[in-house]
Amino acid sequence: MTSTLNLVFSNSKYLLLSIVIFLTMLIGLLILSEYIFLEPYVVSHIQSGTEFGFVLIVMISALSALVLPMNIFRINILKKSKQKMGGGVFGSIIGAAAGACSCGPIGFAVISTFGSVGATATAFLTNYEIPIRIIAIGILAITYFTTVKSLKTECKFIPNS
Amino acid sequence: MNKLGVILGVIVIAIIAGVAASLSASPSETVNLNMGRTHGTISTAMGSPILGDPFAPITIIEFGDYQCEMCYRWFHTSKLPIVENYIETGKANLVFIDLAFLGRDSFKAAQATYCAEDQEQYWAFHDILYNSQEHVDDGWANSERLKAFAFSLELDMELFDSCLDSGKYSKRVDYNIQQAKKHGVNSTPTFIIVGDDQEKQISGAQPFSVFKQVLDTMVR
Repeated sequence: MTSTLNLVFSNSKYLLLSIVIFLTMLIGLLILSEYIFLEPYVVSHIQSGTEFGFVLIVMISALSALVLPMNIFRINILKKSKQKMGGGVFGSIIGAAAGACSCGPIGFAVISTFGSVGATATAFLTNYEIPIRIIAIGILAITYFTTVKSLKTECKFIPNS
Repeated sequence: MNKLGVILGVIVIAIIAGVAASLSASPSETVNLNMGRTHGTISTAMGSPILGDPFAPITIIEFGDYQCEMCYRWFHTSKLPIVENYIETGKANLVFIDLAFLGRDSFKAAQATYCAEDQEQYWAFHDILYNSQEHVDDGWANSERLKAFAFSLELDMELFDSCLDSGKYSKRVDYNIQQAKKHGVNSTPTFIIVGDDQEKQISGAQPFSVFKQVLDTMVR
């Protein structure tokens, strides 16, 4: 597993991509979930009872930062199909969407635009925020292990080929 | 003569006792009857009664939804120190304006608070809602539960039920939502803090330290 990670992230392009994905997702989700405020002052705080939600956000960001560059590497270098990329993207999107549609501006825009359908969708994403994030982590973890496995198989060095 | 003196004495004492009793029985909150009430550029005429001294130099206008989890968080963390340090000391007062957008029960819950206001229990009802919040539209704020909250506050149920069932305050809540939108409020809770000649906005369930910083710069 370590050698697979080395294979991908020894390339500075993929390492940089991973760092960018991690920071963008982490900061974005922490702002949407109101762990970080930018106005009127830049403030970060974790209210009691919201620690678990914070840990889930860190895990989703970290897994997305691992899985997405590995799949891009797989597609670019090995010219493989984009099928396995779907799991990573899907996991990242549902993990992000769970927190985005609460009482914030995104939820407000969705409800204002789509009316009762938007309200139902927002209510679902808000009510099941934690279980949805756990499912997203599960999807990302499965995608990670399958990607590592396929990279191990596909990147075997065959001397006479 | 003595008899007349005793009768006069009794009458005087009765009048004094009556006046004292009426003063001590003054309601802790008054129904908002000021249809022209504004704070800064914001019309708060259809909002909640004022919590605190109506003549306080600063008004905190909270735009909220009773089903909003962030509003619940703010209510249970930052609100108490704000009440203790700024509202009870007369430095600020607070008005709540409904931005009931999250689900179908949000609108009904907002109306119910004004039905409670008819019986001078707006803030007690407001508090009971934020102490009882569960998931959005899962039934915790449906009509039956709202009536149960009113019953627990010992409100006149005939009055409350007819008020809630008739949708007496639906236009009032609509007006409040329009006020929020008019001022660019697009999330809950959002606070607009109005001082003598300035308005400052705080969006989200921010910690007390942020409110303290903003309020202290406005308190003179």
